[in-house]
Amino acid sequence: MTAAGSSYRRAVGSQARVVALAGAVLLVVGSVLPWARFSGFPGKMTLAGPGGARIGPLLLALVAALLLRQVPGSARAVRAASTFAFLITGLTVFFIGYSGGGADYVNAGAWVALAGALVYLLGGLGLDPSRPASSPPRSLPDAPWALPAEWLLTAGSTAVALYVFVHGLGIQSANVGRPNDVVIRGAISINALTNDGEFLAFLLLLIGLALVATRLGLLADLSAITKKHPTVFLAAGMIAATAFPFTQNGNGYALRIAASIGVFAAAAVGLNIVVGLAGLLDLGYIAFFGVGAYVAALVSGSVTSTIHTHIPFVFVIFLGAAVAGLFGILLGAPTLRLRGDYLAIVTLGFGEIFRITANNLDGNSGPSLTNGPNGVSNIPDLTIGSFSFGDNHHFLGVDLPFQANYYWLEIVVLVVVMTAFLRLSESRIGRAWVAIREDELAAAATGINTTRLKLLAFALGATLAGAAGTVDAHVVKVATPDSFTFLESALLLAAVILGGMGTVPGALVGATILYLIPEKLRFLQDLRLLVFGVVLVLIMRFRPEGLIPSSRRKREFHDDSGGADALSMPPGHGEHMA
Amino acid sequence: MQTFLQQLVNGVVLGATYGLVALGYTMVYGIVQLINFAHGEIYMLGGFGALFTYTVLLPGGTPVVLALVLMLLGGMVVSITAALLMERFAYRPLRGAPRLAPLITALGVSIFLQELVRNFYPAKSPRPFPQLVDPSHQFSLGASVEISAPRLLTVVVAVIGMVALSTFVRRSRTGRAMQATAQDPDTARLMGIDTDRIIVTAFVLGAALAAVSGLASGLQFGTVDPRMGFLTGVKAFTAAVLGGIGNISGAVLGGFTLGIVEVMATQYAPDPFSGGAWKDAWAFVVLILVLVFRPSGLLGERVAARA
Amino acid sequence: MSMLEVRDLRVAYGAIEAIKGISLDVDEGQVVTLIGTNGAGKTTTLRTVSGLLRPVSGEILFDGQRLDTVKAHEIVKQGIAHSPEGRRIFPLMTVEENLELGAYTRKGDSIAKDVGAVFDRFPRLLERRAQKAGTLSGGEQQMLAIGRALMSSPRLLMLDEPSMGLSPIMIQLIFETIAELKSTGTTILLVEQNASAALALADVGYVLETGRVVLSGPGKELLKDENVRKAYLGED
Ligand SMILES: Nc1ncnc2c1ncn2[C@@H]1O[C@H](COP(=O)(O)OP(=O)(O)O)[C@@H](O)[C@H]1O
Ligand SMILES: [Mg+2]
Repeated sequence: MTAAGSSYRRAVGSQARVVALAGAVLLVVGSVLPWARFSGFPGKMTLAGPGGARIGPLLLALVAALLLRQVPGSARAVRAASTFAFLITGLTVFFIGYSGGGADYVNAGAWVALAGALVYLLGGLGLDPSRPASSPPRSLPDAPWALPAEWLLTAGSTAVALYVFVHGLGIQSANVGRPNDVVIRGAISINALTNDGEFLAFLLLLIGLALVATRLGLLADLSAITKKHPTVFLAAGMIAATAFPFTQNGNGYALRIAASIGVFAAAAVGLNIVVGLAGLLDLGYIAFFGVGAYVAALVSGSVTSTIHTHIPFVFVIFLGAAVAGLFGILLGAPTLRLRGDYLAIVTLGFGEIFRITANNLDGNSGPSLTNGPNGVSNIPDLTIGSFSFGDNHHFLGVDLPFQANYYWLEIVVLVVVMTAFLRLSESRIGRAWVAIREDELAAAATGINTTRLKLLAFALGATLAGAAGTVDAHVVKVATPDSFTFLESALLLAAVILGGMGTVPGALVGATILYLIPEKLRFLQDLRLLVFGVVLVLIMRFRPEGLIPSSRRKREFHDDSGGADALSMPPGHGEHMA
Repeated sequence: MQTFLQQLVNGVVLGATYGLVALGYTMVYGIVQLINFAHGEIYMLGGFGALFTYTVLLPGGTPVVLALVLMLLGGMVVSITAALLMERFAYRPLRGAPRLAPLITALGVSIFLQELVRNFYPAKSPRPFPQLVDPSHQFSLGASVEISAPRLLTVVVAVIGMVALSTFVRRSRTGRAMQATAQDPDTARLMGIDTDRIIVTAFVLGAALAAVSGLASGLQFGTVDPRMGFLTGVKAFTAAVLGGIGNISGAVLGGFTLGIVEVMATQYAPDPFSGGAWKDAWAFVVLILVLVFRPSGLLGERVAARA
Repeated sequence: MSMLEVRDLRVAYGAIEAIKGISLDVDEGQVVTLIGTNGAGKTTTLRTVSGLLRPVSGEILFDGQRLDTVKAHEIVKQGIAHSPEGRRIFPLMTVEENLELGAYTRKGDSIAKDVGAVFDRFPRLLERRAQKAGTLSGGEQQMLAIGRALMSSPRLLMLDEPSMGLSPIMIQLIFETIAELKSTGTTILLVEQNASAALALADVGYVLETGRVVLSGPGKELLKDENVRKAYLGED
């Protein structure tokens, strides 16, 4: 693979830059010409001028301009840009042809663009792939306007994130109302397919641009700047998150999805304390979440609850958290002294016991508590004081359906969990966790009470999950054993790993991606677990630190050694001392 | 008393399945300290490979014994191929990576294989498995304790497999090399042992035995299901730990012990918690109790003391 | 041409360079010793020669053939045996099984004869042939480790601190064994912290300090060298 790559580079030699530039020019030309001969494809693809999925290839082609003024990392950035430009162009052409019903429906512009993208890719692959020597993040010049500019950049980055999120979410919901006027191929309507194509192209564009920015060091610069102004960053982030329902103009579906992402993300951040900070692999995390959900469901006043009580939610959230935390302690105390990978199995076992128990406490196979497989349903809308979360509102000329109430509640939960994470990771406890994660024996030798601290991480993770679960029960209005299976735990873990272990943005991004992708790509719905499985394997293989790594993790995984011990050191080396 | 004896027999049958699968966990863990989560799926693939051989490859009217042998071979081919691929492309590139990485990869491989079969193996789930060995044929073990033909076959085949493996590991040159690699991989290489090959051997042997178990459970239960590997896998891992991970005799002993405990708990647990609905819960309770009270297992671990 | 040549060898653990460019030669029939304080890089050197570690740069030649790209288990077949630091016998196997593993790369019935030869050399091992190696005393384990290394009929024997942690009597016995092996013409690369005993025996000695060779020469001369006496023989 690498050998073939380097011999290809030798063959192309110094021509690579010229080829890449030529391809990029061709691609730019192609991407402003019409691509489709029928109007079924979104984004005015039948007209000249940039629009729809053509924006992506256009932007990525412009990256080639970096080759004219060599800056550090430009070759690698262009390699990434050309790869993704080709992927997006190829994919879009395929979707146009497929949903149109044949190659005839693809207009000339698309072919020009595809040819350009191919040349661009061939040139790009000939560029030097070696990493430039890492340099410290750049900062703005020392001028009076630097501070406001830094604030602007910080706030702007959250605004961009919000825009990207809203746009991605909107790709489908904007089209939901469109008539299914086009041919039906099998069970999948063309609309769904073109939406999938558009969303996939959008996703690839995001990844491509993120890679370009990373390779140019821009992301590192930006994150250094945002770190300098955490308050601005947080405030901007909060404003963006709070403002989100106002961008949706009454679209309850989008708000519901956003709220679900919020729950998922809160659970992922909680799990990240356990896995990312303390290095404990918890494969039954969803069970703690389920404990919270069941507690809330049972005392919600639902008619299907076997306990005919109603406790105000402000108490329930603590009750659920406490019960889940208690389970965490009961489970963690005896098992946390064990070898790390045994903990994974124990938590997995606990998750299964929870699910089986919830299934069996139906008054038939066991005591009556949970209604068995049917679960507790008809959970009433939340009320806090006189405010009912089931009411729609109209505010500042915007329709705010009741889902917005739950969305904001989820944001509050998420902020609480994130704050807990951030405060902890900066604290002495957090540093001790990291020390334990990296080398438990060494940590113990420096006087850290490893067992107690691991228990703290584990129980805290359980507590946060329980709290999030109580909220979720009211959002989805039902608690059933099926919602708390091993696969849910695995998905949460996947979110943490995909995003980046040990960081808050990592867990947020991971949760968003993992929730949104199957929601958006209908053709993937059946295959989503299959894809997750592959993604887990690929990430561990090629980017174990995740999309947004903590700097420390990155070093841990990419110890660019001179090859010592490269042969057959088994995993777990150094873990088991006699 | 008679119920007790009958349940004991049932436990032994169940334990034979666990033991066969546990051997795969224990060999791989003993050598590379990896909990190969996906080993349960290897067992599942063995069942599906056998089913595929029967429904697609074998002409109708193949004599039963020949059909069984060919189904076993078919199952083994599928299991072993999957095990080889995953070792080569998922696990081997991760040697030397932080400990969590291969564990997560294992999880990914497990989900992937399950979903692969669920989505792409035709026909409804669970899939009917040919009843080649008549389950209504009962052998009496005296005192009105009985065992059906497929269950008896399971125990017999399991015992043969276990004895064969243990003889291989203790007596053969490769078996010795496996032991050496488990005890000290670096020094094993200094002896001229190709440890990469030994790791592959462990995966292959484990897969072959798991395929035996997959076929046996197909015959016993009359179905195979893409999800069947998950529970059996976790329980077999429990059995391996119960016996002492890395310890081959331990895996066998652990398998039988777990099988018997599970059956007995299901039968004799205090009232609302007995019966089939709680069966799996009991297995996991045993798992947690074992790990808490005897993490090094009944016979002791055989895991390298790595400095 | 020397039997083993190490040229400008550099070896790193992650970002930390442990061997910073060393060169050394071992001629057929010689005993060559590497001495130096803890952490000087002696073990790293041996592990690199036997292929357990890969160099960052430099080369290792055995009989003029590149060794630094050959896999560890192939290197044994080429005739290099390595008795590692800390003995590293297989604790759960019997003494006899350990010895047989030493001959893993060999085929044929001369193996049994060679096991007998090791028992002749170390009668203590014969008494314990069926005992688990992990239950042996430190000195016996060291005998087993040396015996196991000899089982591959090596042309070059590398011993890493064979006297470490042993009683004075055992140390004497081990050095006698090495002297005996030398007298039968075995080529030996010996790593030792017991500098005086090692230098007294060695044809050539190299002094390592933080990954570099700081001094080399005939063993007898190094033994007389003032700096060596100060630093490694505890005199002032
Ligand atoms: N596995 C390892 N990981 C990181 N550093 C190591 C490792 N082994 C040895 N070192 C370092 O390499 C240097 C040389 O060690 P070593 O070769 O063992 O020295 P010696 O055998 O001369 O005592 C030391 O600084 C030691 O700390
Ligand atoms: Mg040393």
